[in-house]
Amino acid sequence: MKRVLVANRGEIAVRVIRTLRDLGLTSIAVYSDPDRAALHVLLADEAYRLGPGLARESYLNIPRLIDVAKQAQVDAIHPGYGFLSENAEFAQAVVDAGITFIGPPPAVIAALGNKLAAREIAQQAGAPLVPGSKGALADMAEARRVATDLGYPLMLKAAAGGGGKGMRVLRSAAELDSALELVRGEAKAAFGDDSVYLERFVERPRHVEAQILADAHGNVVFLGERDCSVQRRHQKVVEETPSTLFTPEIRARFAAAACNIAKTAGYVNAGTVEFIADPKGDFYFLEVNTRLQVEHPVTELVTGLDLVAEQVKIADGQRLNLPAAAMTPRGAAVQCRIYAEDPLRNFMPSAGVIERLRLPQGPGIRTDAGVYHGFRVPMEYDPLIAKVIAWGEDRAQAIARMRRALEETVVEGVASNVGFHRWLMALPEFDRGDVHTGLLGELFSAASLAASPETEELALLAASLHAHETARSVRPVSPGGNGPADAARWKFADRLQEGR
Amino acid sequence: MKFWSQLGARELDIEVKVEARHLEVDTGERRLEADFVPLPDGEVYSLLVDGKVHEVAVEDDGAFIWVTIHGQRHKVAVRHPLEKTLREVRRADAKASGEVVESPIPGLVVAIKVELGDVVPAGAAVAIVEAMKMQNELIAQQPGIVEAIHVTERQTVEAGQKLVTLRPAS
Repeated sequence: MKRVLVANRGEIAVRVIRTLRDLGLTSIAVYSDPDRAALHVLLADEAYRLGPGLARESYLNIPRLIDVAKQAQVDAIHPGYGFLSENAEFAQAVVDAGITFIGPPPAVIAALGNKLAAREIAQQAGAPLVPGSKGALADMAEARRVATDLGYPLMLKAAAGGGGKGMRVLRSAAELDSALELVRGEAKAAFGDDSVYLERFVERPRHVEAQILADAHGNVVFLGERDCSVQRRHQKVVEETPSTLFTPEIRARFAAAACNIAKTAGYVNAGTVEFIADPKGDFYFLEVNTRLQVEHPVTELVTGLDLVAEQVKIADGQRLNLPAAAMTPRGAAVQCRIYAEDPLRNFMPSAGVIERLRLPQGPGIRTDAGVYHGFRVPMEYDPLIAKVIAWGEDRAQAIARMRRALEETVVEGVASNVGFHRWLMALPEFDRGDVHTGLLGELFSAASLAASPETEELALLAASLHAHETARSVRPVSPGGNGPADAARWKFADRLQEGR
Repeated sequence: MKFWSQLGARELDIEVKVEARHLEVDTGERRLEADFVPLPDGEVYSLLVDGKVHEVAVEDDGAFIWVTIHGQRHKVAVRHPLEKTLREVRRADAKASGEVVESPIPGLVVAIKVELGDVVPAGAAVAIVEAMKMQNELIAQQPGIVEAIHVTERQTVEAGQKLVTLRPAS
């Protein structure tokens, strides 16, 4: 394997390219028109155009990607996360073109991509499952019967769902009829498949997931858990390892469940087995993500591994050969996802030019960014612009470093959720590790970020300075030319120079 | 230099003095002082207030001054004292003769929130104009009845362009 194409963009493409170069492989980027000057293109060895900005004409365009890969004579393709990373059809097309797919076999992606099939695999593996309907619900009568047997509250889910789409909590029987119709409609529109099923709803659930690596020779290892309970509308916001819920005993059961699922599925490459856990530490299988996760760096910081390098070796047919230290994670790590979005406007994404950017550095801090100062964040794609990851000998040190890192961070020109993360890292509930997936829904509102009187005074000072300097520079010129206005303007220009 | 300022819901008459790198703002109640130095990349200042270190970025869209502190944007108005008088006159005027809601900024009309003949209470949003990636609700200052709508959704407008005319709600 010498030439590897990265079928992605943004921070994950940058992250994969870095490892490819570390390994001495030729890194090959692909790009859409608005991404011609994107960081992943600038950092790759080679780059090829896919098409216009629209994802389905570029990063989601399977025939085009295969054409480019063939023309560039690549040996392997890394799909990153999102886009086509969990698309079995794409993985198959790559394999059919005689190219190595850096991920699981297409059939495994297909099986685990269907939630009902995945549930069946987990059941065979003896993993705990949330009590639920046996399979897809045939009709309303069956839905009513299953719901009564299981008892409320319940979760209604689309079989083909994912990413928080196509699911709804039902508190009572009165909500069943309309919810069934709604979720079916959503599922049909979003995934082209309207089969739905019911599960018992776990109150105050945690989202805990297992990072696993599996080689093509039947070896599977567990590399610790990640707690991704801090979510906003089913989207992860902060991830950490280890989970504050876990004892060594829970972790051992958890590792066994995850590894058994991977073995039963015939899993190969890096994968994540997701579970929900109740406050007592009982956990239930949720789904398998057949790709590298956004939050993989927290695992890398405590294990010292480069998961992308391991993915490449596995795809190359090599046996897992991890250093012993990787199997006993050290310390704690936490990740904040920095999005170009405005927490005060319902987290509306914000596109535009990054006018100022200061990413944090220093002890225990890793920053994976996909943007740079002066880059125009395109409106076509996910607004994730960077990830800040902090490591510490223990959780308290990791969080202290994260708080410091967020204080250092400056993103201007586009809105960002940096201030939101500062609020979150100062939250007593987070500090105590008392988290669940509904936490943000209960605690966050725009008022959480309201300006303190001190901040308001600062804003007034800055605005006054601006108004004063502007007023000075536009004062009418006195007869005779060399008036006070010019003098003032020069004075200000002078001062700007000094500041540089 | 004297200014009239709006900060959140408060209105303040302030006096601003700039001497070399020292800034002084007298609000009547408080005297704020800062040492300042401009930084590169736009209008950005490092401020020292009572020894505490702050960084602020300033943008002026013609209608308001936006100050970014720790990633959060704050809207502040600092205007010539005459504007206060002007606004009071306009308000009195509007009460008697109805009101024309104008866009204070160039931007895109993303929504018209009223229809012809609607009875609009004071403080209700009549339109939303998006500018600089921000959606701004434009508010009726006085109660009124929608007499005319001058723009359509998705239309770009200039600063000062009429959006909606309200006649007095008898």
